[in-house]
Amino acid sequence: MAGLAPRVEYLAGFCCPLGGLAAGKPRVLCHGAEIFLSTGSELVYVYDRDGRLLTAVYKFPGRVWHLELLALGRALYVLCARSGIYCLSLDQDGRNDRDNQDGEAGEPPAPVIPVDPGACVLPDATLCAFTVLDNVLVALAQGPAQWKLQLFERPCPGQDPRPGGQIGEVELSTCTPPSGSLGEPAAPCFLPVLCCASPPGPGVPHGHVQGSGGVTLEEALFGLLFGADASLLESPVILCGLPDGQLCCVVLKTLVTSRSAPGDPKALVKILHHLEEPVIFIGAVRTEPLAEATGDAHSDCLVALGHHGRTLAIKASWDEVGHLVPELREYCLPGPLLCAACGEGGRLYHSTPSDLCVAHLAQGGSPWDPMQPTGLSVCSVVTLSVSSRAPEGSTELLALSARGRLMTCLLDPHSEAPCPTRVTVANAGRKIKELLSGIGTVSERVSSLKKAVDQRNEALACLNEAMNVSCALLSSREGPRPISCSVTPAWSRLQLQDVLTATCLLENSSSFSLDRGWALCVQVLSSARALDLDSAGSAVTYTIPLDQLGPGGRREVTLPLGPGEDGSLDLPVTVSCALFYSLREVLGGALAPRDPFEEPPSEECPPGVLPEQEGVCLPLSEHTVDMLQGLRFPGLAAPPVRAPGQLGPAGDPVHTFLQTCRGPGGQLAGPESLRAKYLPPSVATIRVSAELLRAAFGDSHAGGPLCSATLQWLLAENTAADVVRAQALSSVQGVAPDGADIRLIIREVSVTDLCPAGPLQAVEIQLESSSLANMCRAHHAVVGRLQRLVVQQAARGSSPPDLRLQYLHQIQANHETLLREVQTLRDRLCTEDEAGSCATAQRLLQVYKQLRSPSLLLL
Amino acid sequence: MAHKTLLGSSTSHDSCLDLWREKNDQLVRQAKVAQNLSLSLRRQQLVQDVLEGLRGLLHSLQGLPATVSVLPLELTVICNFITLRASLAQGFTEDLAPDIQRGLERVLETQEQQEARLEHRLRGLWDSVLHVSSLLPELLPALHHLAGLQAALWLSTDRLEDLTLLLQTLNGSESSASEELLLLLKTWRPPVETSDAPLTLQDARSLRDVLLTAFAYRQGLRELITGSLPRALSSLHEAASGLCPRPVLVQVYTALATCLRKMGKPQRALLYLVEAVKGESIWGPPLLEASRLYQQLGNTAAEIESLELLVEALSVTHIPEAPQLLIEVELLLPPPDPASPLHCGTQSQAKYLLASRCLQTRRVEDAAEHYLDLLALLLDGSEPKFSPPPCPPGPCVPEVFLEAAVALIQAGRAQDALTVCEELLSRTSSLLPKRPRLWEDARKGTKESPHCSPWISAIYLLQGQAWVQLGAQKEAVSEFSRCLELLFQVTPKDKEPGPASSCEHGCTSDVVLQQLRAAALISRGLEWVAGGQDNKALQDFLLSVQVCPGNQDASFHLLQTLRRLDRRDEAIAFWQRLEAQTDLPQENATWSLPLYLETYLDWIRPPDREALLEEFRTSLLTCDLK
Repeated sequence: MAGLAPRVEYLAGFCCPLGGLAAGKPRVLCHGAEIFLSTGSELVYVYDRDGRLLTAVYKFPGRVWHLELLALGRALYVLCARSGIYCLSLDQDGRNDRDNQDGEAGEPPAPVIPVDPGACVLPDATLCAFTVLDNVLVALAQGPAQWKLQLFERPCPGQDPRPGGQIGEVELSTCTPPSGSLGEPAAPCFLPVLCCASPPGPGVPHGHVQGSGGVTLEEALFGLLFGADASLLESPVILCGLPDGQLCCVVLKTLVTSRSAPGDPKALVKILHHLEEPVIFIGAVRTEPLAEATGDAHSDCLVALGHHGRTLAIKASWDEVGHLVPELREYCLPGPLLCAACGEGGRLYHSTPSDLCVAHLAQGGSPWDPMQPTGLSVCSVVTLSVSSRAPEGSTELLALSARGRLMTCLLDPHSEAPCPTRVTVANAGRKIKELLSGIGTVSERVSSLKKAVDQRNEALACLNEAMNVSCALLSSREGPRPISCSVTPAWSRLQLQDVLTATCLLENSSSFSLDRGWALCVQVLSSARALDLDSAGSAVTYTIPLDQLGPGGRREVTLPLGPGEDGSLDLPVTVSCALFYSLREVLGGALAPRDPFEEPPSEECPPGVLPEQEGVCLPLSEHTVDMLQGLRFPGLAAPPVRAPGQLGPAGDPVHTFLQTCRGPGGQLAGPESLRAKYLPPSVATIRVSAELLRAAFGDSHAGGPLCSATLQWLLAENTAADVVRAQALSSVQGVAPDGADIRLIIREVSVTDLCPAGPLQAVEIQLESSSLANMCRAHHAVVGRLQRLVVQQAARGSSPPDLRLQYLHQIQANHETLLREVQTLRDRLCTEDEAGSCATAQRLLQVYKQLRSPSLLLL
Repeated sequence: MAHKTLLGSSTSHDSCLDLWREKNDQLVRQAKVAQNLSLSLRRQQLVQDVLEGLRGLLHSLQGLPATVSVLPLELTVICNFITLRASLAQGFTEDLAPDIQRGLERVLETQEQQEARLEHRLRGLWDSVLHVSSLLPELLPALHHLAGLQAALWLSTDRLEDLTLLLQTLNGSESSASEELLLLLKTWRPPVETSDAPLTLQDARSLRDVLLTAFAYRQGLRELITGSLPRALSSLHEAASGLCPRPVLVQVYTALATCLRKMGKPQRALLYLVEAVKGESIWGPPLLEASRLYQQLGNTAAEIESLELLVEALSVTHIPEAPQLLIEVELLLPPPDPASPLHCGTQSQAKYLLASRCLQTRRVEDAAEHYLDLLALLLDGSEPKFSPPPCPPGPCVPEVFLEAAVALIQAGRAQDALTVCEELLSRTSSLLPKRPRLWEDARKGTKESPHCSPWISAIYLLQGQAWVQLGAQKEAVSEFSRCLELLFQVTPKDKEPGPASSCEHGCTSDVVLQQLRAAALISRGLEWVAGGQDNKALQDFLLSVQVCPGNQDASFHLLQTLRRLDRRDEAIAFWQRLEAQTDLPQENATWSLPLYLETYLDWIRPPDREALLEEFRTSLLTCDLK
């Protein structure tokens, strides 16, 4: 069979949308010399093969989804999306015979005949598929939750739509996703497929065009699949392949129900199989060679194809004791499949984006070998039909390519190897034309394959680059990283509000460039209850695509940290930066390059190809913005952040009150605003040994006073650091993000009773604020810094001076008692009622205050 | 008009509201125009336009924050939209619920009770909304209307508890004690809409009336099926006295008749049926009910006549009128259920009923004709319209063939019966186990028994009987033997690897198989008797008694043959055993047999059983006297 080289003849070109035609909706039918064709647009073309010209173009009110031709009644049935089924009589003389023009001119030379809405014989916006038999029409409608199979008396052309024409209905037991908002149905991606299977016999519906959906099955297979009743009644059976993969059947004669009331699905619908992928084709072939003397060749093998290539073949066979048993086989053809058709001799023609293949279901002695489809070198055929005009022993296929080209492929299994023959003048022209159209199909195929290869190369290059970047980042755990991200907080005025922003500066000092697919992810985690360890704060993630960041390039991104809509800003805020590489974005196109005609294009990748997270995430840095960085110092000369008198919410105590009430610590913060005026501010002190600080600051602050140096160190990441340095301040008054003021006072003290060797020099950091919450946040920030400092110093191995251990023990014991009390108080707070909890809260505050102003000295 | 859509001042707000209102009123008027159109495509387009218009209007209304002044209009538009959608889809489905929910949430938005919707589903939403609406009396008419639609939805989806609670809340506190849904619906008074309110497709009061009738009917039907007849009677009376379109009234009257028949009041039932068939609409259910009634009264002639009328009535295709664009009672009725007493099936189902009743009541000529008609109806492909087979509530198609053959034999048309049997065989031959090889295997004594449906053996049995009637003894015996060969190959446990008919499980029971074997053996025995080969007959009768010990006919035949052969002692011993058996309470073995088999067994029943027994008794006595 390898010598099965098709003779491709190019007939006509039709206009197609950018990107080619999508499979599933175009149709091509052939009746005698007439070819009926729809490309999925509103037009239906009638092409005359003998005259090689377009004889008519009909324009329908909606996109055409399906065509059926009833040759006997000379009627063409057309399903229009969202409109219904139209019926045209082919005998009407609505078209003019214009002067002969070559059909290859592409755009319709024939007049476009708009179809009158009166030709609509079955107005129903929910119809998705239909098939016509001799005297009935079977339609599949999409209900809100199910598919509904409806049976109508076959309407004739020109007939008024009659609501009484419906003679039966049954719901198929499939759920489709619920429709959109306010009941608007969404456009289906795959349409269901209908096929009418008839038993052999006189009662078989005739007049069906080959390839337009009707098959005649052998008695044994028919009875086996559909039951004794169906074969006794000689009733046609409607096979229905749904987009979810279900293959079910309904015996037509049982579908007649009284007064169009829906029938019982359990009794009427039988599910034959589930392909688990959209069914795109149902057909039947003859696989066994015919016994001599018998007349008609009825199909003995039912075939159903899924979109991704899964193929089901059902035959009837007898087991060893003579029982009739079904023989089900499943294969996997290389998908995705665009369309298919069944031919003589057990051949199954199917089209993929890259080739038109033929699979043999009847191969000699071992008919059930895994199929080895043979390619025919015609690509991207979106619809196929077996023509009835082929010469004896060969098959002719009518095909419409994705580029809108109509062609015929003549497959002659007995054709001799091409041998040089004498070219006569008469057939030279034909030969040349054949060659030209052959070149046309080949070039179309080449360009499609090339596109796929380019796409893959590009994707591979991207992947390689991504690998390099990942390796570089992951291998340099220690030391400076080749790609770094630093975060700087600052206040700025956005719109009408002062906003604390974080500026992330991404620097690429590696030798690779960050291209398409890379994105900078910044996660802002506001630890709303930083002290409340069990509750996680709310996180916001910003993803900024990096279009092109070459070596040495830098990208700056400024993100708002708050305050949010409710005016609150919960410091500290953690800003984590990471690089994200999206596999989906880079590979999405390349992984399914064989299916560029799928609709919609970015719908899904084949399952199982991409990992769960669909990307690579490389953490870069994490930064905590705390109260000390969020403080503003309007009192300092420079930089002037805002004009005086616009001190924000602090000016309005009611506002402050409301805001603090709404804050997380509502109950505790409630009296704060009053306290700001009438009560002494909350105070916390921390003492640090001067020696420790000196050691930490090293030479940089050797000259200046220690207090000022400490303040500079604390505010190092604040914009006010320069002013502090310049003025050598040892105390400063700032404004918290919510407007409450905070004082930082640094002074040198000496601690006498700790060390036996004499008084220790220490620095006392005092925090004052009218708002308890702010004071706590500032305290938290200072303590955090000191902790880091101590850890650093400990790493350097500095030795603490001699201490009075008993004193330390005393302090520790005191603290432990206090902590225990805190614990019990907090427990009580959870269980008590309002009045009691108020008292408890008061007590808790006092204990916290004691804890905060200890005489503990950091050494 | 674009300049009016800006919402700058309160005056433009008013004019905007007027604009929307005008749009709603215009759409409603357009729907009413479409209602009166007969041309269905034009009508459909017009209705679709109205639906889209309402959808668009709703979109623009819901795009703005909810305010109390706009809400009555918005709720009215929602009601119109739902009414139109439900009437277009000819039923209430769950996908209407989100529209209602959205409306309720909008009401709550004005009260800033947003948290309520997070916690509750529809039920809770209604509670909150009705609680809120006591503060907003201007919303009440529209809310009651929406509640009516919600009630219709819950009625259709059988969520009666939710419905009860909703109505209790709507009625206020004074009737909250009542649990009776019917009473609650009756006492519900939707407030009258003011004359300047936006137009509606259907007002809340008429919706209430529709709900009342639909509920009473549904409840009555449910009670009728569960057997609480007096309650069903009162519910159905309630439905009949309400606002009731003619087709529904026919169904209500039929249900009333069914109820009264079951209560033993046939005359009153008849009155309702007469009332039901008076109209011009559907005749199916009342005629079927009439036939049941006459059957119960024992009036066979009238029963058959009703069934004939039923077949005729069902042959008329009923073209439904274009549905109203309102919520009607029909929309809220339960979906047709084959188990319901009002289900009258299709023409061929009625035809089957008629034919089988004729066969059962020994109207053999009629039965044969009706069966032939039925087969023609089922098989003639050239008929312009299909008629479905009577399955699955009736017998499967092969059984219909067999019954037809039985009827023909009984009517003395043996040749026709043979034709029917051959037709059945030819149509199913491809499904049979591969014959030649099997026959070979059977001859070789292969152990495996092929699966074969009992009805295939039954074909041979009937063919045999047909030959008996034609006087061809040889053919008859060979058919009976073939039948027996098949029957003894079948083991009852051998289930269904092959093609199954739709209701084959029902007739593969062991009893059927036993009776078939007995029938075939007796039939062959009778043929031997007729041919004078009493010994062979005796063998068959003995076998049949063994195969089916409960079958008394076999025993009688055996007894007769023994007597004829003058084997007196054996006969008396056997008779005594038989007497002992007859004293035992007889279980009715033929009780679940298919009709063809039941009729067949009647044929081979010995005609003079009592006489025979009497004769034996006397002969025994004389024997003793000697």
